[in-house]
Amino acid sequence: MEKYRTAITIGLVGAAITLLFGGWSMILVGTVVGAITGLNYGQHSAKRGALDKAREVLLPALIGNIIMGLGGTLYTFVVVPLTGKSLNYDQPLKLGTGRVPLDSIAVFIIGLAAGIAIGVAVAALIAYLQGLPENVRRVAFIASLIVFLFGLPFFDQVTGLDWIAAIITIQIFILLALGLNIVVGYAGLLDLGYAAFFAIGAYTTGLLSSPQIDIYWNFWLVIWVAAAMAAFAGLVLGAPTLPLRGDYLAIVTLGFGEIIPVVFRNLISVKLVEPFTRICFVGCDPKVDVVRWCIYACQGALDLTAGEKGINPIGRPMIPFTDELLFSSRSYLPWYFLVFGLIVLSIFFIRRLRNSRIGRAWMAIREDELAASQMGIDPVKTKLLAFSMGATFSGFAGAFYGSYISAIFPSVFDFSVSVIILCMVILGGLGNMVGVIIGGILIMGTDRLFLPQIATLLKDFMRHSVLGNVSNPVLKDFLEISVDPNQMRLAIFGLVLVIMMVVRPEGLVPSEERRAELHEGEEEHGDAATEAAA
Amino acid sequence: MLELKDVHTYYGNIHALKGISLNVQKGEIVTLIGSNGAGKTTTLRTIQGLIHARHGSITLEGEELTKIPAHQVTMRGVSQSPEGRLIFPRMTVLENLEMGAFTRKDKDGIKSDLERVFTVFPRLKERIKQTGGTLSGGEQQMLAIGRALMANPRVLLLDEPSMGLAPILVEQIFNIIGELNKQGTTILLVEQNARMALSIAHRGYVLQTGTIRLQGSATNLQEDDEVRKTYLGEH
Amino acid sequence: MQLVRRFLPLVIGIYLLLFFGPLAGFDFFRIVGEIYNKPSLLLQQLINGLANGSIVAIVALGYTLVYGIIELVNFAHGDVFMLGAFMALTVIGATGVTETSTASEKLTAALLAGAAAIIFCGVINVIIERFAYRRLRNAPRLAPLISAIGVSFIVQNIGLFWGGLRSFFPIMGVNSAAPKAFPDLIGRVDVFKDWFGLDLPITLSTKELMVIVVAAALMVGLRLLVQYTKIGKAMRATAENRDAAKIMGIDIDRVISFTFLLGGALAGAAGLMFGLYNNTVVFTMGFTGGLRAFTSAVLGGIGNITGAMFGGILIGLLAAFSDQYFSSRWTNAWVFAILVTVMVFRPTGLMGENVGQKA
Repeated sequence: MEKYRTAITIGLVGAAITLLFGGWSMILVGTVVGAITGLNYGQHSAKRGALDKAREVLLPALIGNIIMGLGGTLYTFVVVPLTGKSLNYDQPLKLGTGRVPLDSIAVFIIGLAAGIAIGVAVAALIAYLQGLPENVRRVAFIASLIVFLFGLPFFDQVTGLDWIAAIITIQIFILLALGLNIVVGYAGLLDLGYAAFFAIGAYTTGLLSSPQIDIYWNFWLVIWVAAAMAAFAGLVLGAPTLPLRGDYLAIVTLGFGEIIPVVFRNLISVKLVEPFTRICFVGCDPKVDVVRWCIYACQGALDLTAGEKGINPIGRPMIPFTDELLFSSRSYLPWYFLVFGLIVLSIFFIRRLRNSRIGRAWMAIREDELAASQMGIDPVKTKLLAFSMGATFSGFAGAFYGSYISAIFPSVFDFSVSVIILCMVILGGLGNMVGVIIGGILIMGTDRLFLPQIATLLKDFMRHSVLGNVSNPVLKDFLEISVDPNQMRLAIFGLVLVIMMVVRPEGLVPSEERRAELHEGEEEHGDAATEAAA
Repeated sequence: MLELKDVHTYYGNIHALKGISLNVQKGEIVTLIGSNGAGKTTTLRTIQGLIHARHGSITLEGEELTKIPAHQVTMRGVSQSPEGRLIFPRMTVLENLEMGAFTRKDKDGIKSDLERVFTVFPRLKERIKQTGGTLSGGEQQMLAIGRALMANPRVLLLDEPSMGLAPILVEQIFNIIGELNKQGTTILLVEQNARMALSIAHRGYVLQTGTIRLQGSATNLQEDDEVRKTYLGEH
Repeated sequence: MQLVRRFLPLVIGIYLLLFFGPLAGFDFFRIVGEIYNKPSLLLQQLINGLANGSIVAIVALGYTLVYGIIELVNFAHGDVFMLGAFMALTVIGATGVTETSTASEKLTAALLAGAAAIIFCGVINVIIERFAYRRLRNAPRLAPLISAIGVSFIVQNIGLFWGGLRSFFPIMGVNSAAPKAFPDLIGRVDVFKDWFGLDLPITLSTKELMVIVVAAALMVGLRLLVQYTKIGKAMRATAENRDAAKIMGIDIDRVISFTFLLGGALAGAAGLMFGLYNNTVVFTMGFTGGLRAFTSAVLGGIGNITGAMFGGILIGLLAAFSDQYFSSRWTNAWVFAILVTVMVFRPTGLMGENVGQKA
């Protein structure tokens, strides 16, 4: 039993998803479950040969996928009737302009069978790959990842699962999390105001390609300007934090994270006038000018950011020789591939950074700033670089976001966004890119897919099965409005932070050193680790 | 009265005390000498419960002290003047001394003990309203010892009372320690200044990298060749 | 030349502030003009600021007590303050007392609400410490801070959920996230006019009087407790040097729990006072209030009780000034700006910080 623990755990996580989405999701989830199981067992297996690894993983993968399938079964036969849908409702396949009509029972059978089969096959394949020589493995792994990520949106479209919008949002936040990981994970600087850089990226894009101030630059240029502005902001906002220790640094970054959105919210009447030419203290009517030397926006105050109303519409990317409306709100696919490309480029770039001198300088600063400075590392330069490099990626994300949503509002960039991104980095494991990506998928997936689906199902369940049977009007009212998973998201993110810190601060996918250093202090009672022996 | 049996203490993975066994009889002064890093302060911290032994046992007149938290060790009758004195810098001398008697409820006893401390350390009475941080090094040491005495302990632990003090003060302090012992206080004294320590102690233990190297009566240790060479600076 | 170099940054800073200030509502000349034309308005705002500042000061005490003893910025403290206001609102709603009830009924309701808020928030704070912070006492510094942020979110969500329980507490109104009206139990009796018969251009109402008197009483009470009681001295000792306190026989866990109990109780009282004074509560008030309170604590010198009191009043006055002359949209930003400035240029605060070492 012990041996299959990982497979069972992954299967259970998968079951939680198929329990809510049923049908076609079993194929998708099965693939992922299989892949993770294959990776895990392939890596830890004692066997060396590729075929042996593949053979060994078959049973665990089967178990994991069957568990996953159980979720889908429960969905079809328990959840569906409880929420008032007919067991045979129509779930057609959408192929191009044609439709293949299928009823939900058929979908269930196909999904279950295909899900389990594909899941086991993928597990075997991935395990097999683990047994191959290093370079072949890497190429094959990347190839299969690309096949998966390319196939995903098409599968989503065809089956009508419609996860694509949420997936794009998840990707945006993965980009953000990768950027924050540089600041918090590599350099060890707790930045609580990271959403400010996101805002700067988005607003720069908004201002440079919208009717707000009548500038319409090309998106491909604007994205770089936005990233540069964000990087610059990283320098400016990071500078005051240089002399501060950990918690004060965090709070100052929080402060900036709050000031920036307030600024954007309120720059609706911008006019710059040289102050000393306006001297008139006593007996003056402030509306009547004495002497004014106006610098900017003299005809009338400029509405720079449209405040609460937000900037819209924002221009879209355009690829030469293609349809001008390729990137429009009609189809998600171009956006999906664009942000996917951004992520790939970012991973590549961040990896180079991490393995370079500056990357090592960041780790040194994180471990012990004093010792690092004594070894010739300039803490000022290193920290500022961390802030601005981290901010650059949120600049990219902000530019993409602005163009994608085609409108930006200041309320999108508040503190809770910074905290959610921090959640992802911590859940995944500080300083670990793979962990951060997984953390991002888990957190954002929960927020945009899982929770809303639970909310919908719960609402239907209440309406269909429960409320009719409740006579007490107070209880009925309570059940109707107060039981809403969507309103629990703050608590969920909060719980993630608390539980992770208390139980597993190194994250889900930690590096071994971090795990050791974080749990060492728990051995003794008292502050023993810092006390010198006599 | 106080007995340590095969005590092992760790800092993380560092094995600081490797099987210490020692005892202190009632009314004795026992000293623990050794160079820096030998484990002397670790021993006292372990007894006090600031850090817990992983193996071994510590008993006070038969009662187990090994796994109980620090404040309970104090309540059982062990008090300490710790390394670095650790007086409360923003509290007055009087408040510091009152803190020493925190676990006690006998108002009259506390009052008479306070008088006693002022008799032994008249300088403290002069500075009774001054805050701890404004005292000189020697005065702080007196305050630390006085504070530990206020607990009316069964065993008094003293960690490097001579540290950072001018020689004349050191003599003064050690005279006082000797006096206290004559008046009946059982003392375990940890010291780097082996000469002074051995001059007032009944027995001693030599600690080196976490183990007891030598033990015996103070006189024997004073005459031991290795002790003389390593710790007393004589050839 | 040296003089120029020293003062040049300051001069440049002031010029930039005057130049870009109007964007943030800080239009120096307009403000001076307004003050000159209507000085009574400024005084009135300052009275208002004093009242709100007193409330902020009470919350700041909680921050400073906790930071002084375990060097943790208890992010969730402001949100506990919000819970206090919600608990008070719920109790008053349950009693059915409104603006038109008799004075004794109002008083009883207020006292009940106060007791409930104080006990509830004190206990909540102790629970938070027990589960979210205690195990992290020896962890790297950032771990408890992150945990505190998590707790803050959880508590905010509790507030949101509570605010939506109109089924059980009709006083919560229709929308869970919207601000809720808090009954005006004190009434605006002009003290100058009705009690003293003075005809002044400014008003001091019974509301302000209540807030200032109660806040002063709480501050004095806390001072006495910390200075003269056994537990107060134990708190101070633990804050100054934890290992020494242990050696004294002080049970650190209990002292820290008590500190949290105290801080929570103060936050609960402040919540009630806020509700009675401002007549509105919302689940996000913990964030704003917490920010102002924490800034006050830092401004006065973190760990320093007197500092927190003065810091709170100062911040209250500044916030009132900003609300009137800049625009309340900018006030939060100004408070944050003050926080950042103090932390960068004078981290020990105006009255000096009061944090000990651990060993």
